[in-house]
Amino acid sequence: MQHGINQICDAIRPTLGPLPRVVAISPVMSNKTPELLDNGAVIARRIVQLPGRSSDTGAMLIRHMLWRIHEEAGDGTATAAILFQSIYNLGVRYLTAGGNAMRLRSFLERGMKLILNELDQMTIPVEGRNQLANVAESLCHDPELAKYLGEIFDIIGDCGQLDIRPGYGRTLGSEYPDGSYWEQGIISREILGGTEFSRAELQNVHVLICDQKIESPRDLMPLLEQAMPANVRSLLIVAQDYTDPVKSFLVANWKRGVFQAIAVKIPGSVPDDQRAFMEDIAVLTGATPIYKATGQKLDTVHLSDLGQARRVWANVVHFGVIAGKADPLALRQHISNLRAREQATPDADQRRKLQQRLGKLLGGSATLSIGGSTDLEIKSRKELAGRSAQAMRGAVRAGVVPGGGVALLNCQAALKPLLEHPDDADERAAYNILHQVLETPLRTIISNAGSDVGTVVAECRHRGDRYGWDARSGQVVDVVETGIFDVATVVRSVVTAAISSAALALTVDVLVHHKNPEETIQP
Amino acid sequence: MTDTLQSDIVYALSVSPTFAQDGIAFAAQQSGLYRSEDGGASWTPTYDSLNLPSTLPTLTVVLSPDFSRDATVFAGVGGGVLRSNDGGQTWTMTALSLPAPAITILALSPNFAEDGLVFAGSMEDGFFVSADKGHQWRTWNFGLLDLNVLCLAIDPDFKHSEILFAGTENGLFRSTNSGHSWREVNFPSEHAPILSLAVRQNRLFAGTEASGLFISDDSGLSWSQPIHETLDDSVNGIALAQTFPATPHILLALSSRIMFSPDGGKSWTLRSELPDEQQMTCFAAPMGVQEDSPLLVGTADSGILQL
Repeated sequence: MQHGINQICDAIRPTLGPLPRVVAISPVMSNKTPELLDNGAVIARRIVQLPGRSSDTGAMLIRHMLWRIHEEAGDGTATAAILFQSIYNLGVRYLTAGGNAMRLRSFLERGMKLILNELDQMTIPVEGRNQLANVAESLCHDPELAKYLGEIFDIIGDCGQLDIRPGYGRTLGSEYPDGSYWEQGIISREILGGTEFSRAELQNVHVLICDQKIESPRDLMPLLEQAMPANVRSLLIVAQDYTDPVKSFLVANWKRGVFQAIAVKIPGSVPDDQRAFMEDIAVLTGATPIYKATGQKLDTVHLSDLGQARRVWANVVHFGVIAGKADPLALRQHISNLRAREQATPDADQRRKLQQRLGKLLGGSATLSIGGSTDLEIKSRKELAGRSAQAMRGAVRAGVVPGGGVALLNCQAALKPLLEHPDDADERAAYNILHQVLETPLRTIISNAGSDVGTVVAECRHRGDRYGWDARSGQVVDVVETGIFDVATVVRSVVTAAISSAALALTVDVLVHHKNPEETIQP
Repeated sequence: MTDTLQSDIVYALSVSPTFAQDGIAFAAQQSGLYRSEDGGASWTPTYDSLNLPSTLPTLTVVLSPDFSRDATVFAGVGGGVLRSNDGGQTWTMTALSLPAPAITILALSPNFAEDGLVFAGSMEDGFFVSADKGHQWRTWNFGLLDLNVLCLAIDPDFKHSEILFAGTENGLFRSTNSGHSWREVNFPSEHAPILSLAVRQNRLFAGTEASGLFISDDSGLSWSQPIHETLDDSVNGIALAQTFPATPHILLALSSRIMFSPDGGKSWTLRSELPDEQQMTCFAAPMGVQEDSPLLVGTADSGILQL
C-alpha cells in the first residue's frame, strides 16, 4: 500500500506552489501527444491502475480522496497528497516500531481538531476586488486571470452565476448580463427570424408558468380573452411542452404583432430540477404556477396568476428575465430558505445546484470568456479558471488564511503544549507526526522553486508568524501584506481529508484481493 | 417666501456647492426643471432650449460637486437622464434601457471630476451607473432584491471606500464596489419605504415614510430610533453638517416640520413649521446645517418656500 501511495504522491508533489513543474501523462493511444498537467487531482485521476495489487489499493485510496477534495473545494489536492503521504509514511515507521494503530489514529484526529481551531483563528475575511484578485492569483498563478476573477467575485459574491466560455480573441473578457437566465431556448426559431445569434425580446411582459403540455391554441384562449381587454400584449410562457398547432398559433400572432408571446420549455432535465426552476421563476416574477397535480388547467387561469417582468428575452439556447416584479418579501424569504438548505446539505452536487439557483435569484450573472493562441491554451486556461472560481466562492464565503503553507506552519504552535506533556508514546508520536507534517507544504513549495529548503525555512521561522516564501520573487516576505493567501475552506478540507484518511489508512491490517479483479481504463 | 412659476409638486432641490457666492439652485418639479440665481427668490424654467410640446415632469436633479467650474447638471425624467454642461441652458438626453425607466434619484461621486461616476435609482428598474459623466448607462442590480429605488447616499470617503447605500420601497441595501453589486442591510423592513438617507463614516441615518428616523452607529448592523413624539412621521430629507460628527448638527424634513438636532440625534427642537397644512416634499440647506441657517423647502402644492 505504502508503495502505491508514494507513487501517486510523488507524481503530484512537483505541482505544488506558484512555480509548479508539469507532469506528462503518456496517452492511452500511442499516436496521441502526452497530456501535460499541473493539477494534482487530474494527475491522480489519470493513474488508473498500478502494478501490484497492494500498491494499487493504496494508490486508489488516495486517488479517491484527492478527487473528492477537487470536487468539493476546487483546489488543494497537491497539499493534501503531501500531507497524506507524510503522515502515512511517518505513521508506518512508528507502527513498525511497535506503536498502536488505533490509538495513533485517535490522537491524530484529536490533533486535527486543534489544527482546525487554529486555522479558524487565523481566518481573515476577504473583501473588495483587489484583495479577491490577490486570492485568485494565489490560486491560479495567472495575474491576468486573477484580475478578472477578483472583479467578478467582488460583484457576484459566493453564489452568483459564472459562465466560463472559450473566447474568440487572444485575451480574456468579462460581461455582466442583466437579470437572470436559464438554459432553455425559444421553442420556435421562426420568431427569431435572423441568425442563430438573434434573440427575441419583449417589454412589460406577463409571465405564465405551468407544468403541462399545451395541446391546443384553444387552451390559451380563455387567458387571451382576459388579456386583450386588460391591454396585456406580451407574454412569456414557461410550460412542459407545446404541440405544433400551438407553436404555429404563437408564431402567427407574433408576426401580426397583436399579441406576442415568447414560449419556452421548463428549464431542467429532471422533474425535481424543473419544479425548482418553476418555483424560482414564479418568485422572481410574482407568478402563481399552474400545477397539473393540483387539478388546475389553463382554462381556469386568471390574469392575477400571471407574473410580470420589465423585460424578457430568448434565443435558441437561453431565455432570461430582467427586473421581474417579485414581491421583495417573498423573494427574501425564498432566498433565505435556499441559503439554509445550501448550508445544510452535505451533497456537493446538490449544493452546487442550490448555489446556481441563489445566483439567479440575486439577479445577475457574469460571463468570463477565455481567449488564447491555441485551442490547448484556451482549454487549459478555462479549466484553471473553473477550478479557481470554485475555490474563490469558498474565499468569499469563509475568508482566507496566510498562504504558501504559512498557515499550516503556524498551526504547529497549537500542538506544542500537547507535545510537552503526552500521556504515552502513542500520543507523543501522533502529535510529533502532525508537528513535522505541518511544515511539509512550505518545504515542498521551496523545493519546487529550486531554493535551499533548510535556509529558507529557518529564515521564515526567524522573521515571525506571517512570513513565508514568495517563490516568484525568491524572497521571504510577509505573506499577508504581499497578498499570498489560501482559501480557508480549502485548507480546512485538505487538513480534514488528509489527516482522517491517512489515520484510517494506518489502521489497515489486512488486504483482501479478488481472485480475478475487473480491469478498467475508465479515467 | 417666493412662488415658483408653477405651484405644483416639487420633487427635488439641488443647490450649487458655492451657493453663498452664486446663489444658484435648481428645482425638479412636475412641470419641469427650474433654476434660480438669486438664492431661491425667483425661478426660471430651464427646458426652453428643448422646445418641448408639453411639460416634462422632472423627478430629480443633481449638480456637479465642481459646478462652479464645469456647470454640469443632471436631471432625472421618465425614460432617461438629461445632462447639461452649461448650467441648464442646453440639454442632452440619454435614454436608458427600454422600457423607459422613471428616474427617481440621481447622485454623483464626490470625485466626479476624476471618476465621472453618476448613479441613478429608478422605479421598477433598479439602479443605473454611468462611468463617463452620464453619456452611457447600464443597470447594476446584482443583490438588489427590490428594484424600486427611492433614495441614495454616498459615503463622503467614496474615493477610497466605494460605499453607497440605496433606500427602497422594501428595505435598505449597501454596495462596497461603486454600485456594481448590493447586499441587504439589516434594516427592519416593516418600517420601509425609506425616503431619505445620510451617511458619515459608520453612522447611517434612514428616514422612513411612516415610522420616522432610524440611526445606526455600525453601518447598518443595528438600529435605534430617537425618542421624540414629533419624529414619528414621514422623513422627506436629512441634512448633516459638513463636518459631522465633529459638528453633530442634523436637520430633518418631516411632512410639515423642520426639526433640528444639535447633538447627533439625541435631542430635537422644532426649527420651522409650514403654514396652512402645507406638505413638505424635499429641502436643502444651502448655507450649512445650523439651527438658524436659511433653507429652501419644496412642497406638494405650494412651490418652493424660503425659510
